Amino acid sequence: MISYLVRRLGQAVLLLLIVSMVGFAILYLAPGGPLSQFAAGTDMSQEDLDRIAEQLGLNRPLPVQYAEWLLRMLTGDWGRSYRDGEPVLYVIGSHLGATLQLMLTATLLAIMIGCWIGILGAIRRYSIFDTLATVGAMVALSIPTFWFGLVAIYVFSVELEWLPSGNRETVGDGSLLDLLRHLILPASVLALVETAIWSRFMRSSMLDVVNQDYIRTARAKGLPEWQVLAGHAMRNAALPMITVVGLQLPTLLGGALVTETVFTWPGMGRLFLDSISYRDYPVVMGILMFSATMVLVGSLLADMLYAVADPRIRLG
Amino acid sequence: MSAAAPAAAPTAGLRVLERFRRHRLAMFGAVTIATLTLACFLGPFLLPFDDTYIDIMQRFAAPFGGAHILGTDELGRDMLARILMGGRVSLLVGFVAMAIGMAVGILVGAVAGYYGGLVGTALMRFVDAVLCFPAIFLLLALAALVEPGLTSITLLIAATAWMDVARIVEGQIRSLRERDFAVAAEVLGATDRYIILRELVPNAVAPIVVAATLNVARAILLESYVSFLGYGIQPPVPSWGNMLNNAQIYLTSAPWLAILPGIAITLAVTSFNFLGDGLRDALDPRMDGR
Amino acid sequence: MTKAPGRIGEEAFSASPTEGTGSLSRRRTLLATGAAGLAAALPRGTSAQQPQRTPPAPDRPRGQVIVGLSQEPTVFNPLMPAIEVDQGVWWNLFSPLWFIDPDGKFVPDLAREIPTVANGGISADGLTWKVRLRPGVKWHDGTPFTAEDVKYTFDLINNTSFRARTRVGHNLLQDITVTAPDEITWRMERAYAPYLSILSLTFIVPKHVLGAASDPNTAPFNTAPVGTGPFRWGSRTPGDNITLTAHTSYHGRGPFLERVVFKYIPDLTVLYTQFRTGQVDYTGIQGISPPFVREARTLRGRTIHLSPTASVESISPNLEFGPLADKQVRQALYMGMNKRAIIDAIYYGLPTPTESFIPRESWAFNPDLPAHRHDPAAANALLDAAGWQRGSDGIRAKNGVRLEFANSTTTGNPVREQAQQLLMQDWRTIGAAMRINNMPAAVIWGEFWQQSRFNSVMVGVNFMLGSDPDVTPRFHSGGIPAKGGRGNNNIQYANPEVDALLVQGATQFDQAARRATYARIQGIIRDDLAILPLFQYAVAEGTKEGLIGYKPNINTSSNCWNIREWYWARAA
Repeated sequence: MISYLVRRLGQAVLLLLIVSMVGFAILYLAPGGPLSQFAAGTDMSQEDLDRIAEQLGLNRPLPVQYAEWLLRMLTGDWGRSYRDGEPVLYVIGSHLGATLQLMLTATLLAIMIGCWIGILGAIRRYSIFDTLATVGAMVALSIPTFWFGLVAIYVFSVELEWLPSGNRETVGDGSLLDLLRHLILPASVLALVETAIWSRFMRSSMLDVVNQDYIRTARAKGLPEWQVLAGHAMRNAALPMITVVGLQLPTLLGGALVTETVFTWPGMGRLFLDSISYRDYPVVMGILMFSATMVLVGSLLADMLYAVADPRIRLG
Repeated sequence: MSAAAPAAAPTAGLRVLERFRRHRLAMFGAVTIATLTLACFLGPFLLPFDDTYIDIMQRFAAPFGGAHILGTDELGRDMLARILMGGRVSLLVGFVAMAIGMAVGILVGAVAGYYGGLVGTALMRFVDAVLCFPAIFLLLALAALVEPGLTSITLLIAATAWMDVARIVEGQIRSLRERDFAVAAEVLGATDRYIILRELVPNAVAPIVVAATLNVARAILLESYVSFLGYGIQPPVPSWGNMLNNAQIYLTSAPWLAILPGIAITLAVTSFNFLGDGLRDALDPRMDGR
Repeated sequence: MTKAPGRIGEEAFSASPTEGTGSLSRRRTLLATGAAGLAAALPRGTSAQQPQRTPPAPDRPRGQVIVGLSQEPTVFNPLMPAIEVDQGVWWNLFSPLWFIDPDGKFVPDLAREIPTVANGGISADGLTWKVRLRPGVKWHDGTPFTAEDVKYTFDLINNTSFRARTRVGHNLLQDITVTAPDEITWRMERAYAPYLSILSLTFIVPKHVLGAASDPNTAPFNTAPVGTGPFRWGSRTPGDNITLTAHTSYHGRGPFLERVVFKYIPDLTVLYTQFRTGQVDYTGIQGISPPFVREARTLRGRTIHLSPTASVESISPNLEFGPLADKQVRQALYMGMNKRAIIDAIYYGLPTPTESFIPRESWAFNPDLPAHRHDPAAANALLDAAGWQRGSDGIRAKNGVRLEFANSTTTGNPVREQAQQLLMQDWRTIGAAMRINNMPAAVIWGEFWQQSRFNSVMVGVNFMLGSDPDVTPRFHSGGIPAKGGRGNNNIQYANPEVDALLVQGATQFDQAARRATYARIQGIIRDDLAILPLFQYAVAEGTKEGLIGYKPNINTSSNCWNIREWYWARAA
């Protein structure tokens, strides 16, 4: 187990190094730069732009800039944002809460509803419910989220005036009710797709299990159906779901990007989009390294949880 | 997803077809895709309107009210012509991006799976590294490198869609390699290329076909997201994605501008998803006994 | 971007119940009457508008205003590189020595009076300046404001290790001397007329705070600023909002609000929706997108204000690029464009057609430039005569150069893309092939623009220097970055006569003389068609019913400039 962990961690460090090099190269070689936005519409002259590029060290050769960035990273210094001058870790941290709040709510909703739909669909395979659930899931996976979000805003905020059309809270309110009212619409839109994914996973996992020998044995023993399902089938069907949780972890960052844009949710997705359109190199690199780490931790966690939960698997 | 049993027996092939035919949703998907494709590629020739002809006096004509069956857009262009031409672009992006993604994925996966060792490890670690990038990061970062356009957007989407396939193929081939028929072929002195192409790849075909179908769906959806984020196909060429994106501001005043491409995307993507789902069931030999 | 001295015609509109979803021709007739016509037809305050008698301002700060912005303010050091939205926040935190009011008059702020040659503040040769400061002004932390702060601000701008936004004008300063706690003098290296206007947008920073930091580029001040403005720094939630609170010992009128919240809403559609549903009280920079304006005017409890900005929209050709280098081609293209259709149909008649790069509100505006006419036949004839022959595909060519070019603008602006497509079709009929090649802002304004790698761009910019008509950086041949110049002449315009006139205009202090100089410059540039001018922007901004004090100002780069005087007309 220990040697397995060490090997996995070693691999992870190597991967992160590759990711950082590729990411850095793509970012810095792309045309344009952090000063572009000042070039057309402000009172800054070419002289000012050139001077500031020099002061920021943007004119140095790429390997030099990468080496400097890497060395600073190793000492725990993620640099400062070009946009607002704040440390990168603070910038990421200040957006993480909003994303977590939105994603966790949506994921919880999705797991609860999705698993229920999936299990029911698997038990009553090819029933009307199953067919409807399948069709519904497929359609949900096929609707462009931003379109769905805009329609939802139009219906529930503009026409019916039931819910706010965006934002995380009313400034200066701060009550729990206010937070919840703002959360409902974006979380539901996001949960739609997630529910579809979860119900599909749960359904196929459950189907795999239902036809296993031990379930047949349990049935043959004459146990009541609900006991067979609750006691044996569901526990085993839930196993692969652990992997799904692990693999869904990194989508925490990218997954909500579109929803955050439509609902002006101040989370990581918005931050990433703003940072990349500004070419805020330090923040973009920070987000990239952060999310790559999440991916690696997620898959490692999934494997380990799986090994712990399923005694048949031995890591080695 | 299970490993496919060695195919070949005609009865097995027939059984797959039969299972697929029975899958009503998959049939629906296949028929819809065929209809959409035909309409998008032939339709524009039959219409009296050009998809890029601007008639500013006719803008925002509502559907079913005059010469323009589906109405006109914000510049007075015929919506039906634009939906059909947009469909051409979106479907083309979907298919070509899938094909490229598949080709790259299969190549990388097959080489890595067959040779294993240092080459295999290096390739798969690279796949892992690319998977560490959020797809949207790859898209946006790469989009900045190239001039926006049909070719570049197709390549961009393909660039984010080959890793899964590579993993599937690598896994399949690695396990198949250990099996009897590959070992037998090697003993008989077959070349590497022969073994990979003739023996191993066909056996991994079931999951690949499923992944391919789902990737078309994904590519069509990604095209609309890329448009939404401002890196889409350049006007005046229509695509479902950029039509949907441009329609946002008219959601209240001219809702059909957003509804039509929205329906088109949802319909096409759903169909591909149904198809993929049906293929998965049909190609899974374990389904026989049920 | 809105910085021209001049008059402002603010028009408040109310809903017209008779104006349904008429046909385009009907809409055009209405639009042709012009904004002023509509306003005249509808007396102010017909429906849910400002009451006849303006309620008095409250005796102490009350309530809050939520300002919706489509870009996020992130820079709070007013001397560092920033965009308009940042400046909107600065107006509330800091004070300049003086500012220019909506009527184009200079109004002293931190200074006691505007230095002029008449009052002895500026020497007759324009080289020696003396500014007397307002006494009793305090920074937000209670420290008195003195001439040392002004000197520190100038020194910091010229400090080589500081990332100052721009040194234009400031780099001429010499011998800055504090002669008394409330008096400062300096010499200029050479006479420079626009400097008075530049200072109207230069905010003074505190020496005792910023000067104490080891590195002004990363000082804590930059994220928790201290100023002399009507509001003090409250808090910031990155990516979401900035909250300022009333500075009760502000030296001027106001503030009447307890709190100002600048709320970042990254999408214009969403911004409008939130204004509509009442989540923002005022739509700040970029305002309400033209397609929404008609509907917005019908909203109850909302007022839509249409105010001109100093920004001029144009097709800016690269004058060194193939076919566009030919003046006759540019003339034909200009005649070939249906400007009215773009303004009336695509921009819903909001902006004003223009022939100049200077806004019509400016004292320097030349009203006598030849008017544009849409005449495709004449355009065709001109190109035929000039030897541009049509090829088999209908596209013209001359000496192997095809009349073909790309037009670029920033992505994510659907309205502008519509205008591009209309132009594309217009120009096709005169045998010119335009291709659309749009890019994200960070790409298009990078090397592509800075090193003049573009064919042509569609862009709206304030050509002036602050509120001064000096356009040396934009049109002087020494300012071409692609040729080693240091200005903003990215279109690569070079005309010796204009060069000489620009030098002359920057050193004249008599306004009548300057007006003549800039009228000549506008005439020559219109004749050369260095840019194909489309229109001068007007921004539609919305305020919620009962919000009093909103006063657009073309000279302050942001209509958030006077939030200190805003208040709610609430029953006490």
